[in-house]
Amino acid sequence: MMRDLGVQFGLLLVGMTALSGAAIAASNADGAVIRNGTIGYVLTDYHWAVYQTQDSKAECPTGMNDGPREQFKILFPDDGKKRTLLETQLARESAVWHPDVSPEPYPFKEATGKYAVGLNLDGKVGPNDFSSPDGAVKGIDNQLYRAIGCITAYRGPDGAVHYFGNKFAQQYHYDRVLLELTNVDSLTNDSDVTVTTYRGLDGLLTDATGNGFMPGGTERADHRWGKQFITRFKGKIVDGVLTADGSDVHMPASSTFEDVSVQWIRDARFQLKLNQDGAEGVVAGYVDVETFYRQLVQAWSTHHQSYGQLSSPSLYKALRKLADAYPDQQGHNTAISGAMDMKFVQVFIQHPPAETAAKDAETPARAARH
Amino acid sequence: MRNLGKLVGFVAGLSLAAGGAYAAEKRLMEDYVKSPMPPGFQVIVTELEGPVFADAKGKTLYKWPIKSIRNGDVGEQKNKPTCDDTVYKVNAGLMSPYPGGFTLPEVETRPSCLQVWPAVYATAEDKPVGKWTIVDRKDGKKQWAYDGFALYTSVLDEVPGDTRGGTRRKEGGDSPAYREPVSPAPAVPAQFGVYSVAKGRFLATSIGYSVYTYDKDTATKSACTGSCLNEWAPMLAAENAVALGDWAVIERSPGVKQWTYRKKPLYTRIADEKFRSYEGGDIPGWHNVFTQTEPAAPKGFTVQDTRAGQVLADKNGRTLYIYNCGDDAIDELACDNPNSPQAYRFAICGGGDPDVCNKTFPYVIAEAGAKSENRAWTPVDINPKTGKFAKPGEAGALHVWAYRGRPVYLFGNDKKPGDVSGDAWGEFNGHRNGFKAFWLRDDFRTNAG
Repeated sequence: MMRDLGVQFGLLLVGMTALSGAAIAASNADGAVIRNGTIGYVLTDYHWAVYQTQDSKAECPTGMNDGPREQFKILFPDDGKKRTLLETQLARESAVWHPDVSPEPYPFKEATGKYAVGLNLDGKVGPNDFSSPDGAVKGIDNQLYRAIGCITAYRGPDGAVHYFGNKFAQQYHYDRVLLELTNVDSLTNDSDVTVTTYRGLDGLLTDATGNGFMPGGTERADHRWGKQFITRFKGKIVDGVLTADGSDVHMPASSTFEDVSVQWIRDARFQLKLNQDGAEGVVAGYVDVETFYRQLVQAWSTHHQSYGQLSSPSLYKALRKLADAYPDQQGHNTAISGAMDMKFVQVFIQHPPAETAAKDAETPARAARH
Repeated sequence: MRNLGKLVGFVAGLSLAAGGAYAAEKRLMEDYVKSPMPPGFQVIVTELEGPVFADAKGKTLYKWPIKSIRNGDVGEQKNKPTCDDTVYKVNAGLMSPYPGGFTLPEVETRPSCLQVWPAVYATAEDKPVGKWTIVDRKDGKKQWAYDGFALYTSVLDEVPGDTRGGTRRKEGGDSPAYREPVSPAPAVPAQFGVYSVAKGRFLATSIGYSVYTYDKDTATKSACTGSCLNEWAPMLAAENAVALGDWAVIERSPGVKQWTYRKKPLYTRIADEKFRSYEGGDIPGWHNVFTQTEPAAPKGFTVQDTRAGQVLADKNGRTLYIYNCGDDAIDELACDNPNSPQAYRFAICGGGDPDVCNKTFPYVIAEAGAKSENRAWTPVDINPKTGKFAKPGEAGALHVWAYRGRPVYLFGNDKKPGDVSGDAWGEFNGHRNGFKAFWLRDDFRTNAG
């Protein structure tokens, strides 16, 4: 499925009467947090979008996939046969680090059904597309859901990646994602806003429970190490819903032990319901398959994958099979449509003084001491 | 106040004949607390680990403290040495999700624990001294221990001052139960601590916050007054604190004393949130403090900014990687050096194929005749098909850079300076059997120590 943008987002921007710019005061309701036409948000929760029914029968009629432990028992049964580490553990780790599309002796269970969370990325309604859970939106492109929907790790509320991936993102400053809206006149309707993503440098402002997050905190934008995460989108706000598109997005995505992983969503677009305290919705786009896979295996060891019956070599084959965009020179798609649920709270974003930012913008190659 | 010693010399660089081509490097080295030792032991100030205990021949002493790993504990409890002459043939199943009982690589030549970690035996005439005690082994022999932990040397150490057997640096999660050099206490006042990090021996507060010096200060006077004190907190000294060795005390104002180290007043940065932060050192005029810095990298190597901090890189700016490996037998022998089985590394970087491996994580080639100023960095010859050290003049051998006696690598898919795409590549995020970038600074996690 090739990308054909512009139907759902963006076209309406053209010709719409812009308000008279950032100089106009924001509405009274928004005025407390919109300063100089700017409002910031910090990501507090995110998960790969997985539509779930209560008993999972609709989307996973044959159950959940096996994980590394279950597959290991199938491949190497306790039959008294003497085996080497090379042909067992190291062979399995070879498959993790050098995945391929060869068939496996166990089936991979893709998510099925009519519904999925996400966006209609190509403006079309095709045979592999989903409808939104309320049926209102047709043509939702989310082939990533087919790949991960029947893997326990990705399912809420307590799948290992679903739960801990989010928990780590809340905990580690490396993963702090900021969204800054500029040229904002109103959080209800504004035909032309600019949306910029940054990596933040500070902890989240929690409530007294330590588990909830409060608006009104402050985050410093990372202009030194986080250049990779600075991306600008054009957007608009209609009836309190922000839509923005036009760029790829790189998200910091560190999880378990000291990894510095990223996610890369190509041709990303945001759809977020906004208010002065926070934002909630999805980012959707085409997830780069190799980056997704590397993030998975570099941030989640086989042990950690086992918690959620997540076999990365098996998932890789599914990702490659279901990839639906950005074909390479051989015609193999390199990206897969997908979406993330996201929640933000409002923050005041601080940028370094101009001279500091300019200094940080330089990336000198220093000579090592010798 | 403890008995602080004088600055001591660095001995490893003097053993030219035994260690190959490198020139002695003169650097400030860390001082330590002198304490009684049994006859036949000494302290050597090493280039990577600072002061360590060594035997009469200069071989660094190591301990193997017990560590909980996924499916059990390995290592040694105090006064209970377990490293013996058993040659383990199968893995122990300690590392989830894989079970035990599988035949280990190169099992025919696998050594026993004692063959690679020779015990430091005591004689019947030896007597305990201070923290130095003598423990009974199951084989009936007696072994020296320090602070209760049985002592060993490493076959990887070749010359006095080598610490190739292990490090005091904090290891990443799910790393093997590594052996650590055993050391005397650093000669610092009780408010301070010294930590082994990628850039050297890092001076900090006793709980780990960075301390800093200021260019405008002198040995006897602090220039940080007024609004400066909103951002920097002097490291105050007690009324009865006295100067000793590198340490002295100045009086900031009547009755208010401040520690100085090597003629510079010390401060913490009020805004520092994380331990061993380098952020204060980014501010012009302010510097982090080391009791000794890391040995010089080979000429031409560079430092590159990444998305999380800084890494050591080659002359073209490509990130360097270190390979980590400990096997899963009960004695947790290292598999991270060319003397050990290479099947682990080949599985991770090449799917078992050395040729693929050499493309995925190629060696860092050293120029012919390349020399190092220290023992930390050495050019070595490697057979790329086997991953083992090459024999002199061996056809097809590669002349490559090694750190702590282990080759360093590049990552084939890194496209530009600052890329770290090969970081955490391998079992348990690259800590157990895999690759980690050569982190020098990590502002977000703890990769640099």
